[in-house]
Amino acid sequence: MPALLEARSITKRFPGVTALREVSFDLRPGEIHALCGENGAGKSTLIKLLSGLHSHGSYEGELFFDGAPAQFASIADAQHTGLAVIYQELALVDELTVAENLFLGCEPRRGVLIDWDRIWRDGRALLARVGLDLAPDTLVGDLGVGSKQLVEIAKALSKNARILILDEPTAALAEREVDTLLELLRDLRRRGIACIYISHKLDEVFAVADRITVLRDGATITTLQSSATNKNEVIRAMVGREITELFPRHTSHPGEVLLSVDDLCAAAVKGGPARLHHISFELRAGEVLGIGGLMGAGRTELLMHLFGAWGVRLNGHVQLGGRPFEAASPVAALAAGLVLASEDRKRYGLILAESIGFNLSLSSLTRLRRGALIDEEREAHANQGLFSSLQVKAPSLETAVGTLSGGNQQKVVLGKALMTEPRVVFLDEPTRGIDVGAKLEVYTLVNELTAQGKAVVLVSSELPELLGMSDRILMLHDGRVGGAFTKPEATPERLLAAAMGRTLTAA
Amino acid sequence: MKTKLTLRDFSLLFSLLVIGTFFALAAPQFLSSRNLSMLAVELAITATLALGMLLVILPGHIDLSVGSGVGLMGGIASVLIFNHHWPAGAAIAVSVTVALLLWMAMGSLIVRQRIPAFIITLGGLLIFKGAFWLVIGSRTIPVVAGGQSNLYSLLTTFYLPPVASGGLVALVFAGLVLLNLRARRRRSALGFAVDDAEIAFLKLFLTAQGLLLFVLTVNQFRGIPLPVVILGCVALVIQVITRHTPFGRHLYAIGGNEEAAFVSGVPVQRTVIGAFTLLGGIVAVTGLMQTAYAGASTTTVGDSMELDAIAACVIGGTSLRGGRGSVLGVIFGALIMACLLNGMTLLAVAPEMKFIVRGVVLTLAVWMDVKLAKR
Repeated sequence: MPALLEARSITKRFPGVTALREVSFDLRPGEIHALCGENGAGKSTLIKLLSGLHSHGSYEGELFFDGAPAQFASIADAQHTGLAVIYQELALVDELTVAENLFLGCEPRRGVLIDWDRIWRDGRALLARVGLDLAPDTLVGDLGVGSKQLVEIAKALSKNARILILDEPTAALAEREVDTLLELLRDLRRRGIACIYISHKLDEVFAVADRITVLRDGATITTLQSSATNKNEVIRAMVGREITELFPRHTSHPGEVLLSVDDLCAAAVKGGPARLHHISFELRAGEVLGIGGLMGAGRTELLMHLFGAWGVRLNGHVQLGGRPFEAASPVAALAAGLVLASEDRKRYGLILAESIGFNLSLSSLTRLRRGALIDEEREAHANQGLFSSLQVKAPSLETAVGTLSGGNQQKVVLGKALMTEPRVVFLDEPTRGIDVGAKLEVYTLVNELTAQGKAVVLVSSELPELLGMSDRILMLHDGRVGGAFTKPEATPERLLAAAMGRTLTAA
Repeated sequence: MKTKLTLRDFSLLFSLLVIGTFFALAAPQFLSSRNLSMLAVELAITATLALGMLLVILPGHIDLSVGSGVGLMGGIASVLIFNHHWPAGAAIAVSVTVALLLWMAMGSLIVRQRIPAFIITLGGLLIFKGAFWLVIGSRTIPVVAGGQSNLYSLLTTFYLPPVASGGLVALVFAGLVLLNLRARRRRSALGFAVDDAEIAFLKLFLTAQGLLLFVLTVNQFRGIPLPVVILGCVALVIQVITRHTPFGRHLYAIGGNEEAAFVSGVPVQRTVIGAFTLLGGIVAVTGLMQTAYAGASTTTVGDSMELDAIAACVIGGTSLRGGRGSVLGVIFGALIMACLLNGMTLLAVAPEMKFIVRGVVLTLAVWMDVKLAKR
């Protein structure tokens, strides 16, 4: 069968680095082809090339579409040919309705005016194609991430896309939304639409992909039939070594209580409805408390509230290190020895235009002073220390953070948190969108922190990670504690039941 | 932080040379020592205000009220001295204090009530303009009684004697060389990239040439005008604040990504209020210089100076969205604006055309900056 899209020995150089080296890749009609590799392996570069973002001529090698040489000059050019990329950061306008978004930039017209009847009618049909049961005049801003993703796909279909490229589509989705998405992809495959699927989640890759291509260090390592391989083989190919232990949590010896939360209720704004209800838990030195729950269960709100960055407290007592604690702002929380690494790196974590060094020391500047001025020598040494101990892959501390891969950006976020020398560390989805190798480094870091007597709260949407890395687990459901588990009590079934607000009778 | 000049700085230098050459050819008196001394005073006034503006643009805000503020602060001091016979020092202190309080209040309104700076300072523009006219009774109030001089009038009429001027410039240059060497040594010790020795030398050499030319020219007239010294001090302070204090880093962080800065423990509100308060102090200093330069408070003092200040920032590579901008760039921007105005005045260009030319230059500068940024 001739390939629908083929890349032949592509080499792409950036100043100082070769991002892709003789990479070859082919996509057959009606195939789901997964692209796997660690951060910096070259997946994003390859996608940018296939989608026309890196225009023809900026790389060596050739692209073929439907057997004919393809020379995409721009994204619009590639779209016109039938390629659509669904980005991690969704390209929808929150203030417009679903149907308006679907036809944004190619509104059907009658004369010079927009043909609203057609927008509503065709919009409804497109939504039905992706299995979204929504009124076309719903505001996109009112949708969850999962539905937005489906709207994006509907938008691509409206442009007669023959190839969909999905970059980490499930990073922000809850389990059920993931199932919906995968089912839709299988359905589209039956209708002849091919798909390039990039994900770090091998479960999904194996659930949906026909073939898997692994990239490492800018080169194609192998292309495997997913029915004829297994996760271990793929992981081996990705990292170039065997990972024996996915979750290397060392058992801890909990010390004194560092953080205690008793009957906490909080609302987003003064006078607003409560979003967190009667939450109580304790956190001891040297232990990892895992917090799980579905999207919107209030995990991020709980952390952000304790950190002084979200909401108003309605009720409850919080003690940090034995003293009553209510942070009016992150400044106060940091001063008390609490630090938070946010789930949303680009929004809450980093100043993307600034350098790695700027970001690393941002939370610690007041402690790095000599008189009124920043002690730049001490700052540089502190930055250098974290830069090398976290093994951030970048030419130098002066590289802009925005140019780094997700895993390396996450390391900078964590480094910034560590430099504040905290006692209690809140990690909100610290491994979202990063690869196996970088995940392992994060887990090792968590172990180091607890070994030093620090306490860690780990919020995660991935059950294996919660089970593997936590000493105790708290499941939230709809702003309430759905269940609390010690390590031996925790099973995937019980956690899931607690997340959905049910209790599973002990088996 | 980066110490090397970028392509953008060179593009500014190049534009400046083109503008300078044009006026030198079209109006020979442009290069006279007397005119260049005047130009230096005008530059000092525009650049000082623009450096203040930089402080609020860095965290992504704006201030439209500084022009009216310039008039008002100069006016308060004039009235206290001329109508109420206060000593100049006390009158100046009152102006500065009032400005600090007013700008602190505006900054607080902006961050605590979350009203856009554009709105608050647009209100300030109108209110201060009205207050200014009330204060001076819409008349002309001299900065000093006829024929005398005081601290206020001396702001723009005092010149450092030639010998002192030469000494000061030599001192400044020696300081620059020392700082440069120290920064180079420190950066290479940390393994950061440094300029090639030839390029570093070339930059210092060009700076030395510029300084020497400047001091020789102004010495032929009366020496370095006091406003240039004031600009030098303001520039030094703001350079240190923006590059070497937590407060300054926080300004860049807020402009780069306010939410991330907040979660990183940057005291966003305090920092922005601080920036506005500092700007208030600079508005007062600029108001005093501008009024002293005019000789008296009249209803038009400070008119549209906010636009020149913003234009100088933008021409100098400052991003109005915040997070990007430098002291050196802003000074170059102000230099371009001041040269244009001065040269056009010498050529007796009609006021209508002056506005149009300034607008065109601003647009061209931003267009060029965007082009260069894309490369």
